[in-house]
Amino acid sequence: MSYAYLFKYIIIGDTGVGKSCLLLQFTDKRFQPVHDLTIGVEFGARMITIDNKPIKLQIWDTAGQESFRSITRSYYRGAAGALLVYDITRRETFNHLASWLEDARQHANANMTIMLIGNKCDLAHRRAVSTEEGEQFAKEHGLIFMEASAKTAQNVEEAFIKTAATIYKKIQDGVFDVSNESYGIKVGYGGIPGPSGGRDGPSASAGGCCS
Amino acid sequence: MHDSVLGSRLLSLHGLLRRYALCELDMKKISWILLAKEIEHTTTNGGVFGLVFGNENSSSEDSYVERLLDRISNGKLAEDRRNAITELQAIVSESQAAQLAFGAMGFPVLLSVLREERDDVEMVRGALETLVSALTSISHAKVSSNEVQSALMNTDLLSREAESISLLLSLLTEDDFYVRYYTLQLLTALLTNSPQRILESRIAKFHFRLQEAILTIPRGITRLMDMLMDREVIRNEALLLLTHLTREAEEIQKIVVFEGAFEKIFGIIKEEGVSDGGVVVQHMAAVGHESGNVVDAGEGQFIHRVVLEDCLELLNNLLRSNASNQVLLRETIGLDSLISILKLRGSGYTFTQQKGGSDTDPGKDLNKQTNKKTLIQKKVLDHLLMISVESQWAPVAVRCAALRCIGDLIAGDSKNCDVLSSKFLGEEPQVEPALNSILRIILRTSSMQEFIAADFVFKSFCEKNVDGQSMLASTLIPQPFCMNDAPLEEDVNMSFGSMLLHGLTLGENDGDLEVCGRAASVLSHVLKNNLHSKERLLKFSLVLRIEIEAPVPSIGSPEPLMHRMVKYLALASSMKSKDGKSRSSGNSYIQENILKLLITWLADCPDAVHCFLDAHPHITYLLELVSNLSETVCVRGLAAVVLGECVIYNKLTDSATDAFAIVDMTSKKIGLGSYFLKIEEMQKSLVFANLESSLNRKSFTRSSAASMEDIADSDINDLSEQKNMNHTILSSILDSYFVNLVKGLESDIREQIVEVFSHPKMKVAAVPAELEQKIGENDLEYTKRLKAFLEKQCSEIQDLLSRNATLAEDLATKGGGGNFQLEQRVSESSDKVQINALSRDLQEATKRLEILKAEKAEAESDTRKYRSLAEKMEADLRSLSDAYNSLEQSNIELEKQVHSMKNGGPSTFLDVDAIKSEAREEAQKENESELNDLLVCLGQEQSKVDKLSARLLELGEDVDKLLEGVGDDVGNVEDEEEDTE
Repeated sequence: MSYAYLFKYIIIGDTGVGKSCLLLQFTDKRFQPVHDLTIGVEFGARMITIDNKPIKLQIWDTAGQESFRSITRSYYRGAAGALLVYDITRRETFNHLASWLEDARQHANANMTIMLIGNKCDLAHRRAVSTEEGEQFAKEHGLIFMEASAKTAQNVEEAFIKTAATIYKKIQDGVFDVSNESYGIKVGYGGIPGPSGGRDGPSASAGGCCS
Repeated sequence: MHDSVLGSRLLSLHGLLRRYALCELDMKKISWILLAKEIEHTTTNGGVFGLVFGNENSSSEDSYVERLLDRISNGKLAEDRRNAITELQAIVSESQAAQLAFGAMGFPVLLSVLREERDDVEMVRGALETLVSALTSISHAKVSSNEVQSALMNTDLLSREAESISLLLSLLTEDDFYVRYYTLQLLTALLTNSPQRILESRIAKFHFRLQEAILTIPRGITRLMDMLMDREVIRNEALLLLTHLTREAEEIQKIVVFEGAFEKIFGIIKEEGVSDGGVVVQHMAAVGHESGNVVDAGEGQFIHRVVLEDCLELLNNLLRSNASNQVLLRETIGLDSLISILKLRGSGYTFTQQKGGSDTDPGKDLNKQTNKKTLIQKKVLDHLLMISVESQWAPVAVRCAALRCIGDLIAGDSKNCDVLSSKFLGEEPQVEPALNSILRIILRTSSMQEFIAADFVFKSFCEKNVDGQSMLASTLIPQPFCMNDAPLEEDVNMSFGSMLLHGLTLGENDGDLEVCGRAASVLSHVLKNNLHSKERLLKFSLVLRIEIEAPVPSIGSPEPLMHRMVKYLALASSMKSKDGKSRSSGNSYIQENILKLLITWLADCPDAVHCFLDAHPHITYLLELVSNLSETVCVRGLAAVVLGECVIYNKLTDSATDAFAIVDMTSKKIGLGSYFLKIEEMQKSLVFANLESSLNRKSFTRSSAASMEDIADSDINDLSEQKNMNHTILSSILDSYFVNLVKGLESDIREQIVEVFSHPKMKVAAVPAELEQKIGENDLEYTKRLKAFLEKQCSEIQDLLSRNATLAEDLATKGGGGNFQLEQRVSESSDKVQINALSRDLQEATKRLEILKAEKAEAESDTRKYRSLAEKMEADLRSLSDAYNSLEQSNIELEKQVHSMKNGGPSTFLDVDAIKSEAREEAQKENESELNDLLVCLGQEQSKVDKLSARLLELGEDVDKLLEGVGDDVGNVEDEEEDTE
C-alpha cells in the first residue's frame, strides 16, 4: 500500500453527465449503462504510476443534483484535483460549467488542478457541443481539456492520469507545501515503488500522457 | 506561567469529566474533587466567585441577571463590562434560577458580543464561558424531576438563534486558545445535552438539525477537523465533538473521512497508545469512588485512556454502516492499522471490528465480503482468537466482543469458516483446534455473555456450512474410556465430539445441567438442516449406551442420547420449580436450550421423531410441560412445537403414538385452541425479544460496553437492566434462523393437525357391498353381522361426537378470548375440517338436485296440464256461475214479480172472484135453466111413465119388475137420451 504521494480528487458537474460512470470505469474497468443517482458523495480509489512513482488516487464522486451542493462543497477545499464533467450531447450541461467553476474557485484552494471532461464522446451523432467549444472554454479558464467516454473507456485513464501528472509537476515546481495536507496532497511512506496491493491498477508512465 | 500550565491541565480534566457524565458513570466524587480544584484555580486567578447568589430566590436573580446583561450591552467602560460578564458567568454556573433568567433574555446580548466585539478577546472569552455554563446542568444541585431543565431549555433556545452555529464555527479560527476551547465545548453541549432526559424524538430532531446546520456551512467540518491538529486539550475536545457529530450522519462521516480522519485518528491512537500502560479503564469508576489521590496518580493515564476511547468510538462511527468509508479505509490505509489496534491492550478496542458485521445492507454484500476476506487475509483471526481464548487478562466484555467478531467474520463465508476450523491454538504439545477451545469456553465459562458470544461462533460456523457441520458431527464418537472424571480444562486430546458429549451428559446437578444446556445449544447448531448428522447421531446414540450406562446404572435398558436429553429437560424444570424464585434471577436457559436442540433435531427427521416417541412417557411429559403455567411462555411454546413436530414428521401408523393419537391426546388434555395459543404466545414474545436485540446491537456504544462490563464483572441489582439482559440472552439463544424454523413449523403443525382431523382413522370401513346378505348366509348370521357392524359404527360415532364437542368447546373458549386473529385462525382451521364434509355434502346435494330437477320438470308439465284443466274448469265454472247468476237474476226477478204480484194481488183477485162469481152465476143460471128444462122434461117423462105404468098395470104387467133393470138403463137411457138430445 505504500505510495509516494496521495492525491485527492473530486468529480463535479451536472447530474447525469456520467461522473459515477467515469469513476467506475477508472477504478473497476467496467461500464454500467444504468447507474443509480448518486446520493451525497461516493468514494473510489486506485493506484497509478507517474514518473515511476506510485501514486494513490482517492476520488470522491459527488452528486450533481442541486440539493446536494451544500454537502459537496465541503469536499472542494481538501481536493488537489477536480474533474469537471459535462455531457457533449446536452448543451445545458456545458452552459452550466461557468457556475461550477465559480463554485470551485470560491471553495477550493487556488492551486487545485481542474480537468474539463466532455463525456459521452462515443455518441458523436448526438453531439451538441463541439470539441472546439470545449477547448475554447478550457483555454479561457486555464483548464486541461479532454473528451472522453465512460462507455468505451476512451481517454478515461488518460484524464485521471494527466490530472495527476499535472499535480505532480506542480509539486516538483514547488507550488505546493506538501506538508500541508489541506491541499489534498499527502506524502507517502515510501517513494520507491514497492510491492503494492493486489487491487492496484495497471501503471502508466508519465511520459506517455504528460508531454 | 505555572498558572497557565495548571489551567490547561485542569481544563483537560474538566473536559474528561464531562465526558464521563455522558458515559453515565457515577463520577460525582471526582467532580467534587475537581470542582474544589477549580475553585482554587479561579480564586488564584483573582476572579470573583459568585457563591453569594447560590440560594437567592428567583425574582432577585431575574433582576440581577437583567442588570448584568444591561451592563454588558450598554456599559461604557470596558472594564465594567468585563466584570459584569464574569459575574454573570459565575451566577449562571451556580444557580438554576439564574440559568433560566439568562435563557429568557441573555442569548441575543452575548451573541452580539461574539459577533461584533471579536477584538476584545476577554469579552468573547467571557461570553463563551457564560454560554457554556448556561448549557451545563448544575449537577450537584438537587434537581427534582418536575423542575424545568434549564440547561436543556437553554440549549434549545441557543440553537434557535439564527446563525448561531456559523457564528460559533467562525470562532474556531480565532487565535485565542480559550475562545476555541469554549467554542468547542459549547458545540458539544449543543449536540449532547442529555438525550435521555427529554423526549427522544425531539432531541433526535434537534440533533439532526444541528448536524444539518453544520453541513450547510462550507468548510464547517473542515474547521472542526483542523482542531484535531490543535493543542492536545483542543484536540481532545474536538474529538469528543466529532464523535457526537458523526453519529448516524452518513454525509458528515464521509466529509470527516475526506478530511483525513482515519490518518488523524490512527495518529492519535499511536501517540496515546504508546503511553498507555494497560490501565484497565472500566475500573475508573471504582477509582473515582476511592479517593482523589488515586485520580491524581492516574491522571495522565486516565486522559490517555479516555482519548483512546474517543478515538475508537469516532472510528466506529465512521465505519459503521458506511460502505464508502469502509472502502476508503481498506483501499488506501489498509486494515493493518485496525488490526494493530487489536494488539494494544484494553477494553473496547475490539468493537471497532463491528464493521464487518454491522453492515447489513444487502446491496453492500460484496463490500462486506471483501472486508471479511481482507480481514482474514490479515490474520485478524489470530489476534481475535488470542484475545478471546488465550488471554486471561482481557475483561469478559472484550473477550465477548472478540468472539462475536469471529462469528461475524465467518458468517456466510465458507472460506473463512475453513480458515477458522483449520486454526490450532496452544503450544506443542498442548495444541488443539481453535473450535475446541471455543467449545471449552462455552462449557466452562461462568458468564452468560461469554457463552452467547462463543455460541454465536458456532452458529455462524454451522450456518450454510454442511461440510463444517459434518466435520464436527464426525467427531461425535464415544471415547474408548469413560471420561466423566477427567477434568475438562486440561485435556487437549479430547475431540470436539467427545468434549461435547461429555458436556451433554455431565450429570444431574444444577451446574452440570447448565453445561448440558449449553452443549445442547452447540449440538443444535451442528444438527440444523443437516439430516445426515441428525440420523447419524440417532444411530450413534445406541452405541453410546454402554458409555452412558456406566455412570447411571439405575437405567437398565440402553438409553439413546435423545432420551437422556429429555430426562435432563425434565430434571431442569423440576429443579427450577423446586428452587422457586432463587433460580429465576440467574436463569441459565437450560430448558430453552434443550428444547431448541429437540426441535432442531426432530425437524424434518422422522427417525428422530420415532426415537423420541419410543419412550411413551415422553408425550405425557411434553403435554404437562405445555400446560404447566409455572413454566415461562417460551418453554411452553417450545414444548408445544416439539409436540407439533411429533405430529408432522410422524410416519408411524397404527400405534399408540401415531400422529392421530398424539393429536387426540393433545386435544383432550390441553385443547387444541390453547395448544396453538401457547405457540402464538411464544411467537409474540420471540418477536419482541428480537426487536430488543436488534436495537441493542445498533446502539453498541461505549456506555453499553460499560454496562456489559458491569454485568459480567459485578452483580447488577437493577431489575429492568436484568430484564433487558434476559431478553438479549433469549433472543441470542433463539436466533433468527431458529425463530423462522419455528414459524414455518407452526403453520405446518396447523395444517397437519387439521389434516389429521379431517381424515380420521376409520375403525369401520363402510362398504355397502358388505352390508348385503352374503350367499349362503342365513338370516340369523346376517342379522348378527349387521348388528355388530352397527355397534361398531355407533361407538365410532360416539367417539367422533365427543371429539367434535371438544373442538367446539375449544372454538367457543377461544371466541371468548376476543383475539381476533386467533379466532380467525381457529375458524380457518375448523373451516378446513368442515370443507371436506361440506364438499361431500355438496356432491350429494348436486345429485339430489339433479333428481329434483327432473322431478321438477315432470311436475311442471303436470302443472301445465292441470293448469289448462283448471282453466277449462274455471271457464265451465264461470259459465255455470253465469248461468246460476242469470237464474238467480231471473229468480230474483220472479220473486220481485211475486212480490209485486202479492202486493198487486187483491184487486185482480177481486176481479177473478167477481168474474168467478159472475161466471158461477152465469153457470148457475145456465145450469138452472138447463136443470129447469131437464126438470120439465123429467116431469113430462114422469107423467109419461105414470101414464104408461098405469096402463101397464092395467094391462097386468108387473111394472116394478119391468122397471128393475130400467134403473141402470135409465142412466144409459138417460145418457143415450142425453146424447140423443
